[in-house]
Amino acid sequence: MPLFLEKLLSIIRWQDILDILLNSYILFRLYIVLRGTRLFLIVVFIFLLLIVQQIVAVSSMILTHTVLQGIAALTAIGVLIVFRYEIRSLFQSKGIKDILWHVSTKPVVTPVEIIAGSVYHLARKRIGALIVLPGRQSVDAAIQNSVSWNGQVSREMIESIFWPDNPVHDGAAVIQGNQINRVAAILPLTERSDLPMEFGTRHRAAIGLTERSDALVLIVSEERGEVAIAHAGHIETVKDATALEHRLRRHTGMAVGASQRQSNDRVAAAVAFFLSLVVVSSVWYSFSLGFVRSLTTVEVPVEYTKRDARLEIIETSSTSVRIQLSGSLQLISRLDPNQIKVRFDLSKVVPGRNSLTITEDDIILPPGAMLKKVEPTSIDITVDALGQKKLPVQVDWAGTLPPDILVDTVQLEPATVEVIGGQLMLNGMETIYTAKVPVDGLKRSGELRTAVALVPASLRLVPGQKNSIRVRFEVRPRQLITSP
Amino acid sequence: MAKIGFIIAVVLAVMLFPAGLPAEEDTPPSAIEAASPPLDQLHLSEAVICETLEAFKPLNSSVIFPVSVGSIMCFTGFDHVPELTSIFHDWIRRDRLVFRKKLVLKTPRWSSVSSIQLREADKGPWRVEVRDADGNLIRILRFSITD
Repeated sequence: MPLFLEKLLSIIRWQDILDILLNSYILFRLYIVLRGTRLFLIVVFIFLLLIVQQIVAVSSMILTHTVLQGIAALTAIGVLIVFRYEIRSLFQSKGIKDILWHVSTKPVVTPVEIIAGSVYHLARKRIGALIVLPGRQSVDAAIQNSVSWNGQVSREMIESIFWPDNPVHDGAAVIQGNQINRVAAILPLTERSDLPMEFGTRHRAAIGLTERSDALVLIVSEERGEVAIAHAGHIETVKDATALEHRLRRHTGMAVGASQRQSNDRVAAAVAFFLSLVVVSSVWYSFSLGFVRSLTTVEVPVEYTKRDARLEIIETSSTSVRIQLSGSLQLISRLDPNQIKVRFDLSKVVPGRNSLTITEDDIILPPGAMLKKVEPTSIDITVDALGQKKLPVQVDWAGTLPPDILVDTVQLEPATVEVIGGQLMLNGMETIYTAKVPVDGLKRSGELRTAVALVPASLRLVPGQKNSIRVRFEVRPRQLITSP
Repeated sequence: MAKIGFIIAVVLAVMLFPAGLPAEEDTPPSAIEAASPPLDQLHLSEAVICETLEAFKPLNSSVIFPVSVGSIMCFTGFDHVPELTSIFHDWIRRDRLVFRKKLVLKTPRWSSVSSIQLREADKGPWRVEVRDADGNLIRILRFSITD
C-alpha cells in the first residue's frame, strides 16, 4: 500500500467520511439545481476564487489574500442583488424534492407542431406575433409588465392572443411546456446598431431577450409575413413549418427520446457526483492534512478521571505537559488549545507514589493533527487514602512583641482538633497550627479567638467541629539579664 | 540542620531544683503519672524554654521569643535520676526535626540544657520534644520565634 494511502487510512475517521459525503452531496445538489443557469457560472467563479484565496494564504501573500477576500465578499453580495429574480424563481419553480433529491428534469412536452402551425398561419394572415420559449434559464428578470395567462397551448389560443383587436396582442406570449404563461410581455430591446433597417421593435425585442437568456423567440413579421427565430443574440428566417418544428424540438430537448434523455441525465449526474466527491475530498485533504505541514507546541493541563472518591491526589510531578503537533498550516494556525486534552485514568492507582506513562491513548487531538512529541513522557502522582487524626493545636504567633513583655503561659480551648485528610499526609503531621496571631501591642494577660489554618486545602475538620480556638495567655515583665 | 547553623549545647550538671515557670507545654499521660514517681523511674520536675540561665536557673522563660534575642535554651530539670542515663532534646520547626541533642543525666538529680542560635529563617512555630533514652516522649514544649 502506498505510504500516502497508509497514512490517510491511519488518521481518517468515520466522521471524516461522513463529512466528505455530506459536503459532496451538497455540492452535487448545488450543481443539479443551478446547472444551465448563469448563476451556476457565478458560483463556480466564487468557488475558484476561494481556492485561489487558500493558495494565496498558504503562500503568505497577505495583500493579495486580503484583496481576494474583498472580491469574494463583493461577488457574493453582487450575486444576491443581480440574480435576485433568478434565485427567487429557482426556489419558486422547484419543490423541496427537486432541490434535495431529483436528478432528471421532468419531460414537459411542448406542442411544437401546434406552435409551428399557428405561427405560419399568423404569417400568412400578416398578423405580427412574438412568442418566447424559455430555455433552462428563467426569463422573469428580463420581462416587464406582462399579463398572467396560464392557458393551454392551442392554435386558436395563439391566434386569438395576437389578433389585432385583442388588447394583449401587442407584446410577447411566453410558452412554458404546454402552457401559455404570460401575454403582453414587454421584452428588453437590444442596443445593437448593426441590425438591418427592416427589423422593427419586435425584432429588436426578440434579440434583446436572447442576449440576456437562453430563451428562443419566434417573430412573425406582419409587414413581410415571414417567420424568424432569435436565439443567443442571433436572428434567422425560417422558411417552413417543418424546419421550425425541428428547431423547436432541438430547443425544448425533444430531439432525443425521453428514455435517452433520462439516461443522459443519470450519466451526467453520476459524473457530477463523482467530481463533487473529488473536489470535496481534495478540499478536506488540504484542510486536514494539508499540502503545507506545520509544527506547533502546546502546553496542555493534565486532567485526571475515574479517581476513587476515597483517594486524594497529594502531589503530581507536573500539572501540564508540552505536546508537539504536526498538521496542515490551516489546522495548526487555527488550532484551539482547548481541543487538546490529556486525560489519565486513575482507576488503577494505589495509595502512594504512582508513575504514569503518557501514551497516545491518553491524548485527545483535533482531527488531522498528529502527535510528534510529549514532554514529560511520564508523570509521577502521589495519591493518598483519606484518614482521620486528632492533632494538638499550637498558636502561630507573629509580629513584634513589646520588648518589656514575656508571654508566660498559653492555654487553648479546644487543645486538640480532629481533622480529615490524606493518610500519608496525616502520618507526617503531629501538630496543627492556628492562623497567624499578631503579638504587636500585647501588653496584658487576656484571651482571644483564632482558627486553625487548614493547610493544605485538602485538609478539613471532621463534620460538626467548629473552627474556633480560644487562646488564654498570661504576660509578665521581662527580667533584666545581668550576666553576659 | 546546617541551615539553622547554631549549636551550642551546654550540658550543665547542677544539683539544684530551679523554680522556673513552664512554657506552653504538652505532658504525656505517662509523665503525669510520674508526678509521684517510683524510685526506679526518671522524673522530670521542670522543663522550660528560656532566653538564658542565671545562677543555673532559667531566666525569661516564655512561649514567644523575638529573633533578636539571638539564642534560646531548653532547660530540663530532673529531681530523680535512678541511674546514669541520657535524654534527647528534639528541636522541631513545623513538624520537621531541625536538631536533636543527646544529654547525659547523672544520679541522683540532674539538669540539662540545649540551645540554638536564632536566625531570620527560624521564625514560626516550634516545639521541643523531651524524650528518654528509649525515645519515649516525656514532654513537649511549644513556642514561637517572631520578629
